[in-house]
Amino acid sequence: MATSVVFVGVGGQGVVTLARWVGEAALSAGYDVRIAEIHGVSQRGGSVEVHLRFGEVYAAVVEEGGADYVVALEALEALRAYRYLKEGGLLVVNRRVIQPPGRWFNVEEVVEAIKRSGARSCVVPCFDVALELGSPVYENAVMLGILARLLGLPQPPGLDGRNREAFQRGFNLGASCRL
Amino acid sequence: MKSLLLGNEAIAYGVLAAGVAVAASYPGTPATEILETLERFKDRFVTWATNEKTAFELAYGAAVAGARSLVSMKHVGLNVAADPLHSSAYTGVEGGLLIAVADDPWMHSSQNEQDSRWYGLQSYIPVLEPSDPAEAYTMAKEGLSLSERLRHPVLLRSVTRVSHVRAPVEVEPPAPPRWGSFRRDPERLCLVPANARRRRAELVEKWRRVEETAAGYVWTEGEGDVVVVAAGVAYTYVKEALRRLRTEAKVVKLGMSVPVPPKVADLVGQSAVVVEEGDPVVEMQLRALGVRTAGKLDGFFPRYGELDVGRVAAGLAKALGIAYKPPTPPRPPMEPPPRPPALCPGCPHMGTFYVLKIATAGLNPVWSGDIGCYSLGVNMEQQDVITHMGSSLGLGLGIAVASRRFVVATVGDSTFFHSSLPQLVNLISSSVPILVVVMDNSYTAMTGGQPSPSRVTPVEKLTEALGIPTFVIDPARIKESVEAVKRAVEVVKQGRPAVVVSKRPCTLVALRRARAAGVEVPKYWVDVDKCVGCSLCYGLLRCSAIAPRGDRKAYIDPALCTGCGMCAEVCPTGAIKGERERWLEIWRQA
Ligand code: SF4
Ligand code: SF4
Repeated sequence: MATSVVFVGVGGQGVVTLARWVGEAALSAGYDVRIAEIHGVSQRGGSVEVHLRFGEVYAAVVEEGGADYVVALEALEALRAYRYLKEGGLLVVNRRVIQPPGRWFNVEEVVEAIKRSGARSCVVPCFDVALELGSPVYENAVMLGILARLLGLPQPPGLDGRNREAFQRGFNLGASCRL
Repeated sequence: MKSLLLGNEAIAYGVLAAGVAVAASYPGTPATEILETLERFKDRFVTWATNEKTAFELAYGAAVAGARSLVSMKHVGLNVAADPLHSSAYTGVEGGLLIAVADDPWMHSSQNEQDSRWYGLQSYIPVLEPSDPAEAYTMAKEGLSLSERLRHPVLLRSVTRVSHVRAPVEVEPPAPPRWGSFRRDPERLCLVPANARRRRAELVEKWRRVEETAAGYVWTEGEGDVVVVAAGVAYTYVKEALRRLRTEAKVVKLGMSVPVPPKVADLVGQSAVVVEEGDPVVEMQLRALGVRTAGKLDGFFPRYGELDVGRVAAGLAKALGIAYKPPTPPRPPMEPPPRPPALCPGCPHMGTFYVLKIATAGLNPVWSGDIGCYSLGVNMEQQDVITHMGSSLGLGLGIAVASRRFVVATVGDSTFFHSSLPQLVNLISSSVPILVVVMDNSYTAMTGGQPSPSRVTPVEKLTEALGIPTFVIDPARIKESVEAVKRAVEVVKQGRPAVVVSKRPCTLVALRRARAAGVEVPKYWVDVDKCVGCSLCYGLLRCSAIAPRGDRKAYIDPALCTGCGMCAEVCPTGAIKGERERWLEIWRQA
């Protein structure tokens, strides 16, 4: 058995770090792990996509229609990664829009579309909680807490300071994310 | 303890465990992290070279002198190093020489998807091909010893899905570096024709021994009437695809894909399905050994792009006559807007492009581009041709000669030192009037910010010494820069080449430094009452931190703004506000 997760977001949001934290948590829980950075590490502002698989795994990349979870740190990117969702898979979306070039999107309209889609989904306020903690940089740690709850994984080793606090806030939020 | 390592990190730890003493590279995705990891070990000689050829020569020289050495690069970099590569097989080496090359199938960040294994066949250098990070570790470690045992270079071929995959790897502590001492042996090391002819004959002879070695890199697992030969990363897809198809097969895994040893033919029997990433390199060798194959040659697997479980399952199903229905991807409830890669907010290149656009208005220039972050100028209609490292000056010169158009050649500082210096000399001796713009951000930024030679050798000193009129600008200061570039354009119009050096360090590096030093970066903001929605800031300057609201007025995302202040200089109504002087000064020193 293997669990497949696709992480997406916009460059600068810490998508790569988030996937790595989850991978380390899975490794410390005794799973075999593969993480593939699909694109975007150096540049800011572009779409970033990272695949994580754990359990009995060989290949690192998740296919379209093959993800148990799609985790989006940005709502428009959730739409882009939608094609990865497996039937019955869960879409976890941070309530936040980073404006793409040339057009203005309202958070509400995107969240509405996701909710109407028919997919199992869960919209979480990682960005807002991060701002309460003092900086948008904590939004991935909040998401990490939510995922730890959802995936039944421990807190990854080496998480400290504000990130720990963010993790805890996320972990509590995670309860509301169970369907 | 196992830790999650990138394939590239695993390669670095592998050669460390084998006592590597000398390592050189030129950065390039997906190979960069190999040397980045080695850089942390100060008891060895580890260096970023000006290009792949100079890196190769350094490591090769060290190995000739008996040290254990590594050279790493991306696939296209091997073209640059191809000359010494071929010689290295003729002379052989004294210490181990491992050539780690990362291929980029489907060109995630490359101009082509060439398969490095051809170079192995062509140059008589054996190719090891790991399937995952753990194997990359073992093969790098063993590969270095193997090279020393054979006294012959060994190529380690990785691909994006090995180099950029993290997986658990068990790592041993680094072994002490093994340095060497040079022994004279001109008959072996001087490839004048008489010696080279002898070495050629020996090389062909040596290849037999290499084939015997390759036989030690063949592993068989599973049972079944069906035989699947898998090399490198393809093995991981084969394992999962067989599971998905619920099919038993005998899997013959090749850890060395060049040369394929004759022994494999006996193991395989008469026919096999061959799965490999890239070109049908293993398949052709198998056919030459008399095996009937189903693989890429007859179209069972695609000859472009990357393999994945789905593609391998479909190909296996077709070859074996099994029914297979791939999963159907769901359609999103709303079409996601494109988010094309853009220059970072505050990127100095953003300013340079804007300045060039204004200063050459009406000239309708041909934009001759190069490899680096500034390739993204393609999205601003400011790059007409980009083909390889050094193409800007090289092709630009030819285009100017042939078309008599006004040519602007844009090149980064790292690329400038990589392959434009000889061309610059060419430009002067041929005296073709083109405008050369060196976008000097002090780092090889596209690969994450390795230091560039411009940090010790200022580009403008060089071009001035060569006698070309040189104009230095700061791209964050738009108005001043436009005036300076106009003067450079005048020089070109009068029939002489000119150089503009646009200097400001990479924004990302500057921000990292600022964060570490606790420096506050200013945020710019829009006075909505003054904004008339002219679109200059988001449409022409194209800062990606600025978005047009519904009423076309500008909005600056404070989480993205890096305080460069270029937008404020561009705005015709003074609607954009902020204070940057102190920050620009700190930034300049990054
Ligand atoms: S100051 Fe203006 S141009 Fe510079 S990053 Fe901020 S919004 Fe963009
Ligand atoms: S350049 Fe100034 S006036 Fe024009 S859209 Fe931007 S902020 Fe508004």
